[in-house]
Amino acid sequence: MLQYVLRRLLVAVPMLLGAMSIVFFAMRVLPGDPCVAMMGDQATTEALADCTRNLGLSRPLVVQYVDYLWRSIRFDFGTSFRQGYPVSEYIGRMFPHTFVLVVSSAFVAALVGIPVGIVSALKRRNPLVDYPLRILALLGLSMPVFWLGILLLIVFSLRLDLFPLIGGGDLDGVLAMLGSGEVFSQPRDFLAAIADVLHHLALPALALGFTLAATVSRLSRSAMLEVISQDYIRTARAKGQGERAVVYKHAFRNMMVPLLTIIGLFVAVALTGTVLTETVFTRPGLGKMLVDAIGARDYPLAQGAITVFTMTIIFVNLVVDMLYAVVDPRITYR
Amino acid sequence: MLGSPTIRSAKGEKPMSRPVRFPIFLVLLSMLAFVGLVAAPVAEAQKRIVKIAAKEPDTLDPHASTIGQSQAIYRFMYRGLTRFAIRDGKVTTAEVDPDLAESWTLSPDGTVWTFKLKKGVQFHKGFGELTAQDVKFSFERQINRTPGTRFGVNLEVIKAIEVVDPYTVQIALKAFDPIFLLRMVGYQQGYIVSKKAVEKLGDQFKWNPVGTGPFYFERNSPREKLTLKAFDKYHAGRPQIDEVQWFDVPEDATKLIGLEKGTFDLLYPEAVTADFADQVKKMGSVIDRRGPGGQERFYINMTKAPFDDIRVRKAFMHAIDRNAIKETMYPAGLARLASSCVPPGYFGHLPMKFPEHNAELAKKLLAEAGHPNGITIKNYFISKSFFYPKVLTLAQEQLKQAGINVELQVVEHATYHENIRKNLNPFVLYGGTRLPDADPWLSLFFDSKEIPDSATGNKGSNFAHYRAMDDLLVAGRVERDVKKRAAIYAEAQKRLERDLVCLPISDVPGQWARNPKRVSTPFDAEYGEFSLHYSYNYPELLKVLN
Repeated sequence: MLQYVLRRLLVAVPMLLGAMSIVFFAMRVLPGDPCVAMMGDQATTEALADCTRNLGLSRPLVVQYVDYLWRSIRFDFGTSFRQGYPVSEYIGRMFPHTFVLVVSSAFVAALVGIPVGIVSALKRRNPLVDYPLRILALLGLSMPVFWLGILLLIVFSLRLDLFPLIGGGDLDGVLAMLGSGEVFSQPRDFLAAIADVLHHLALPALALGFTLAATVSRLSRSAMLEVISQDYIRTARAKGQGERAVVYKHAFRNMMVPLLTIIGLFVAVALTGTVLTETVFTRPGLGKMLVDAIGARDYPLAQGAITVFTMTIIFVNLVVDMLYAVVDPRITYR
Repeated sequence: MLGSPTIRSAKGEKPMSRPVRFPIFLVLLSMLAFVGLVAAPVAEAQKRIVKIAAKEPDTLDPHASTIGQSQAIYRFMYRGLTRFAIRDGKVTTAEVDPDLAESWTLSPDGTVWTFKLKKGVQFHKGFGELTAQDVKFSFERQINRTPGTRFGVNLEVIKAIEVVDPYTVQIALKAFDPIFLLRMVGYQQGYIVSKKAVEKLGDQFKWNPVGTGPFYFERNSPREKLTLKAFDKYHAGRPQIDEVQWFDVPEDATKLIGLEKGTFDLLYPEAVTADFADQVKKMGSVIDRRGPGGQERFYINMTKAPFDDIRVRKAFMHAIDRNAIKETMYPAGLARLASSCVPPGYFGHLPMKFPEHNAELAKKLLAEAGHPNGITIKNYFISKSFFYPKVLTLAQEQLKQAGINVELQVVEHATYHENIRKNLNPFVLYGGTRLPDADPWLSLFFDSKEIPDSATGNKGSNFAHYRAMDDLLVAGRVERDVKKRAAIYAEAQKRLERDLVCLPISDVPGQWARNPKRVSTPFDAEYGEFSLHYSYNYPELLKVLN
């Protein structure tokens, strides 16, 4: 197992390098000058020349590339062109917000999508159950997250005043308390901070989770359909096991293998989904930051964010591969 | 294969010992949701807080950013030697009053300004009293092009700065500058920063600003909000507002919901459309309109065929129905039909005449110019942001009626700026705000030194490639007689009228939405102030009502 993990990590290095190189050159091939983007209609010839020199963009491209790789090895992604923050520090502050959003929306997606998919598959011959569930899944697939987000905001935030309109809650406070050990000395404050984070997280997680749940339910449905047509399910039923036991003990665990494969891809989809979700709900996070960085041609920030996205996806896929063995004991790693 | 899991024989299959139980997840989720729901937000102490929804500034160093939201927040924290005057209950950009300076004199030859500073003006966060050293430092860091600063070009008129004593600073100019006091206004290059703070903090100054304004910076939660607090030692008296919270809200739809809900008191919208204005009105809020604002206009490249023929330029202008575009974009009072290539509110402004909308006449002129079947412009680039795509789509339809077919390519805003400086568009749609005087405005758009040229790397903004105004610009910069200066710029506008290279469409004021039940301003909502890139010249005069 350890050998397998090490091998996978080794393979991840050229993958990461490739992704970093692509983003480096793609940002520079993209039309639009960072200085022009920064100065807009106030860009005079002289000011642009000054800016280009100050940002180090007048150096040969190869020099910039080597410098970028060399710094990145040391986790130094440079300084944001626009805001002047060290990129690593900036990403470090944004990542937890995106992480909790992705995890909670995945939670919502799994909680809604998997049962809906299973029920839809098991009751496929009952149109009164199957059709509404399929319509629900179709709704989820067709509803853009920004539309659903605004709808949720209008209903639950503006009209019912149950949830806050903007922000990500005191996540920094939660992390600080975890780091300093205050979680034990001031548990009430810690719980209040957690509640605040959840309060801010509920609607965004629901919006993103629901749109992702549609995909999960469709996949669960087809995975379950495939599993329940297997011989061992028929055998289990022939042995006289109840339908509940057949589904939970035999079918469910087997359908998790194809579903886990999807979860790896799902993280990528969820990460892209955070871009719109964070914008609509005005939450801090990597997704919104990345889009702004690309629009502003803030090379270091965009490069840093994409590197972190790539690392996250590689890591999640590795974890998913590890989980195969947990879900299906027939799988081993060499 | 490396990285692929292998499957063990089915013999190893074991019954599932710990089935995943959804009910447990459901209970957990319900608990979490309950905790989230019942946790009422902690009530803020009874402070007078103004909550603003805008975008996040890119830096808090006032000499380092040209973008709107940054310039808007600077007025809360920084001040200059002079300020725009309040006359008859309105703020005018035509006159200045002393601010950090107490008084000033000009040498007989018009090249040496001596400023006496007010005594006792304090910088934020204990950085001490404002002195002449701070003034010298603030201007010199820009003149010397300290990396990141943007406005050095506006101070190039300065030859030397001498500190006479702690409260007196003498600024020698290379030549007489008719708009020097305007340059000293608390705006862009005119802001005074603390020398000690900049030297001590270095790059950190960008997010640890120290000025002399009515509010000081307290903290920043990136991509969320900035907090400013009232400065007790503000030289003109502590503001009534205790705290300003500046939220990073990119979406106008979210801003509107927040205004209605009471989450925000003031909005700095990306764009004020008729729908936006209607919604603001319906919820009982107001829009504070501030002139001169920005002007949206076309420049026609007079060196690029077929527009090198004045008849084609005239046909273009006849084809455009300016009023229809303005009314579609900004119905009624949302903007004013532009009357000159130098906007009203700028010194030297003179109403100009432009060819009337007449598609038939446009066709006739095109035919006369050798284009009886009209002309087609392929690969015309337009930004997908702000007013650009809407205005251009309206213009495209009008031009088509006159036989000028424009094939649009919508691109990112940064790409648009890049392409227009490569002269890829034969006519350019552009917007902007400058110091309210004809000199900086015309210099930027009609000085031959500003003609963009890919070959030389010149990325200027003389998109018309105009060369017939240089003599007037030079004359205007040395003229000390106000009337004569005005006559020079009147002549400049007449030349533009003659050569048909500039067609202004709308003068769009700076516009913020305000909940009048929460926040008041002493100035009228409709053009009660003239301001630049920020809507409130004096944020210290805003008041929280309840």
